[in-house]
Amino acid sequence: MNNSATQIPTDNSTYHIPEAALDLISGPQWLHKMRQTARKVFNDTPLPQRGLALWRYTNPESFLVDHNQMVGAQSCEGCNKTTEEVRQQFNDGNLAGLAIDCCGRDIEIQTGPDAEQGLVILPLSVAMDTHEKLIQKHFGQLVGSDTGKFEALNTALWHDGIFVYVPDNTTIENPVHLLRYGDGAKTTYYPRLLIVLDNNAQLTLIDEYSDGSVEHDNGYAYVNGAVEIFGAKDSRCNYIPLQQHTSSTRIYLNHRTRIEQGASTFTIPLVFGSGLSKENFGVYLDGSGAESNIYGVLFGSGHQQFDNHTLHHHRASKTLSNIDFKVVLRDRAVSAYTGLIRIDQNAVACEAYQGNRNLLLNEGTRAETIPELEILNEDVQCSHGATVGPVDPEMVFFLTARGINREEAIRMIVSGFIEGTLSHIPNNLQERISNIVQQRLEVN
Amino acid sequence: MSEPLFEFKNIHVEVEGKKVVHGVSLKINKGEVHAIMGPNGSGKSSLSNALMGHPAYKITQGEAFLDGRNLINMSADERSRAGLFLAFQYPLAIPGVTVANFMRAALQSHRGKDADMTDFRKLFTAQMKELHVDRSFATRYLNDGFSGGEKKRIEILQMSMLKPRIALLDETDSGLDIDALKQVAEGINRYHNDENGVLMVTHYQRLLNYVKPQYVHVMYKGQFVTSGGPELALKLEDRGYEWIEKKVGQEAEV
Repeated sequence: MNNSATQIPTDNSTYHIPEAALDLISGPQWLHKMRQTARKVFNDTPLPQRGLALWRYTNPESFLVDHNQMVGAQSCEGCNKTTEEVRQQFNDGNLAGLAIDCCGRDIEIQTGPDAEQGLVILPLSVAMDTHEKLIQKHFGQLVGSDTGKFEALNTALWHDGIFVYVPDNTTIENPVHLLRYGDGAKTTYYPRLLIVLDNNAQLTLIDEYSDGSVEHDNGYAYVNGAVEIFGAKDSRCNYIPLQQHTSSTRIYLNHRTRIEQGASTFTIPLVFGSGLSKENFGVYLDGSGAESNIYGVLFGSGHQQFDNHTLHHHRASKTLSNIDFKVVLRDRAVSAYTGLIRIDQNAVACEAYQGNRNLLLNEGTRAETIPELEILNEDVQCSHGATVGPVDPEMVFFLTARGINREEAIRMIVSGFIEGTLSHIPNNLQERISNIVQQRLEVN
Repeated sequence: MSEPLFEFKNIHVEVEGKKVVHGVSLKINKGEVHAIMGPNGSGKSSLSNALMGHPAYKITQGEAFLDGRNLINMSADERSRAGLFLAFQYPLAIPGVTVANFMRAALQSHRGKDADMTDFRKLFTAQMKELHVDRSFATRYLNDGFSGGEKKRIEILQMSMLKPRIALLDETDSGLDIDALKQVAEGINRYHNDENGVLMVTHYQRLLNYVKPQYVHVMYKGQFVTSGGPELALKLEDRGYEWIEKKVGQEAEV
């Protein structure tokens, strides 16, 4: 997946974070120090080598921007056009909370009656004052300057983000919906999200990424995001990142979750957007009995390029992980999926399963699938499987033999293919996702 | 005599470049039940699939007409809407597509895109009841994890809903226990009337005890080698297909 649009840097300083950039961002002293470290790491770290495992399919230069664009938008314009449907759901009482994050600059938050139970949704900039200890304990632990060059970029330059907290023994029934908007050509947006679930807390969160502005004629927008989720003992988190950026946006997103004893997490990546994207979904299973499921759906069309990773790192015994990552591609879209299962030597009696199925709707699409297993003890059950291929012609014949035309038959088969995944997402999102898939199947 | 309901003439079929059917012809008039019998590998299923329009089973020569309309240049979905139905020997599972949604889409395609479907649920429920199919099957994924008998019953359910002009039943009796066989046969007999036709393709005679054909055709090595009345099926049951092999062998020597 070469991207010829990126210029080869001739002068390295062009792609350095200027020192003055950090002075534009306020915050507590410890955070400022973290930013300074991250800035240094980013500036001093060479680009990842193309041959290395996670960079086989995407040119890392694609995620560099010159220092003019790097600093990010100083103000946000036009990020409020597509929020009505979600606002309506909130007004109808179907959401526990709603946050609209425009370019990491303006963050609007609404919470319903669930806030009385202790649900906290705040801009990170505010939470730095109100919940400083909690944030200091967690922030940057999963995605920070030591994660990688591009994570260091986010850690140095993110402006504002969202903090979500659910206290002990609290179940938030309705989902929380976050809308995160980047803004147009030649801008950079550094979304940042920190979720903390205390013991036995439960939360469902939809994390929706898109572009507030569709004016992209003058160059691409860049989104570099970081998500950290902490699930304490016996907590349960359903996290649904929905990515619908326009094709003139490039994105680099790293989502990391850490769960403790008896905790479980469902991660349901719904990947539809952006011209070039690299998304990383990782879960650390750190306590006995912890369970993680990742059920993903990706639909690519046009000239979209996707490079997705999953990581299940079993760091405690009797932990269970399961991945079912489904990919549908049409036109000239390409996808690479790399799934790593790592089971530590002292993590015994673990189970880990991984599946990646790729449906190619026409010639000219391409899908790569790379399972990676690092299993350091014998007492595990582990399996992985992958398929890449066109829609089964026998299925098409079966449906057409009942009078259903070929196009409709393919729509039904593709919808059926992702149906099992959609059954895990909240009801009020299911119809929207079905509609997105139907639209993607129809547009020529 | 009026024109036949269904007629095919001199049909030749190729699969992956291999010739498997060598010029077969048949006429079915309204109200008739025919059976094609033959040993495994005689080309029965290839003929059925080719007539239905399976892209891998190419009709290289010959003609086929249903109600006077030429089927040869039609796609499978057009043939279905023209009134041809094939009950599959091995019905395929379609994960994620429920029986009800599939049935609704199929019926909608036959009635037309904008046709009224308000009677769908009532029709569907009634047909499920008649075929002893549990209501829970409506929301199950099509053939996904179904037993052999359940799959065949769901095939007959589709036939009952779509009411084709001609029903081609490919080894519909295979994999059925005696109760399921009777229920499936009842379904076929309920569907059959003076205006439509049935063509059963089968290896064994046992389905023919319950659905009585007027005409039996024996297929062997891609050709119809003999035709007769129902007594021919009994003769085959009695003597086995070796009798046909000998008979064809002798004719070849003459």
